[in-house]
Amino acid sequence: MTETLIWLESTAIARAIREIPWMYAAFETTHYLGLAMLVGGIMLIDLRLLGFARRLPLPPMLGLLPWVWAGFATNVVTGSLMFVYGATSFGTKRMFWLKMALMALAGLNALVFSVALARSGGQWVAAGRAPAPIKLVATLSLALWLGVMTAGRWMAYA
Amino acid sequence: MSFLAWLESSALATAVAETLWAYPLLETLHALGMAMLLGALGLINLRVLGYKPELPLAGTQDLLPLAWIGFTLNAVSGIALFTSDAIHFFGSYTFRIKLVLIVLAGLNALLVGRRIFHEPALEPAIQAGIGTRAFAAASLVFWIGAAVAGRLIAYAP
Repeated sequence: MTETLIWLESTAIARAIREIPWMYAAFETTHYLGLAMLVGGIMLIDLRLLGFARRLPLPPMLGLLPWVWAGFATNVVTGSLMFVYGATSFGTKRMFWLKMALMALAGLNALVFSVALARSGGQWVAAGRAPAPIKLVATLSLALWLGVMTAGRWMAYA
Repeated sequence: MSFLAWLESSALATAVAETLWAYPLLETLHALGMAMLLGALGLINLRVLGYKPELPLAGTQDLLPLAWIGFTLNAVSGIALFTSDAIHFFGSYTFRIKLVLIVLAGLNALLVGRRIFHEPALEPAIQAGIGTRAFAAASLVFWIGAAVAGRLIAYAP
């Protein structure tokens, strides 16, 4: 484990990030904008599923999912690069692994949502009212992503 | 300067600077408020620009409370973060750019925000006027710029 972290930090990518001025700041800023797309998009979708802003029809609101995916992809890329840069520091932090665990749970939750949407979506999407189990999934999604954000910010201090 | 020094010595500033969890908590709330504000205003402005015409423009007004909660959250957490290191923040050009962008975004919202929801373009099929669309684009630029400048305060002079 430790050897892997040390090796990661010695790769050409890690060295490039250390040596090119502004590289790390650029990744952090992009990670922040990715967060806005990911959490902003998820919040709009989940709050609508929970019954907020009912005048907005569900199908186009669910159509905001590509923004969430784009934000997620942006943050996987920038996050991985920042991890490589500081592997021995991040990889030994409990907060970092808590963030990863919460992300895994959020991913599992998203999988449950997409299966439920494929199975029963036909019955409630057009009607614009999500059934109770979907509302539970939406609440969990909000809580888990808030947790991911919190653990991410706390990492810098723990 | 003496006002900034007084701010830094206030009980709030001392609490933020010396409590272990206060700074990361305020930063987390600031990031959450940013996501609420950019998420809600982003969708409204993109809708004005013609994105997702299936969304009734009038209905996007329901997203305004989300934007206001995000703005309030960030005004409060931002002021608390500012007091903890007032002299440094005030001296930072990046911080000043961020404030100017927020003022511009606020003026933009005040002058045009209302007009958006009183246009005939409230019907899905009708396109918003070119002036309104220009202000929607400016709003996106100002808010995204404010978020970028905010993140860069830690790195830029």
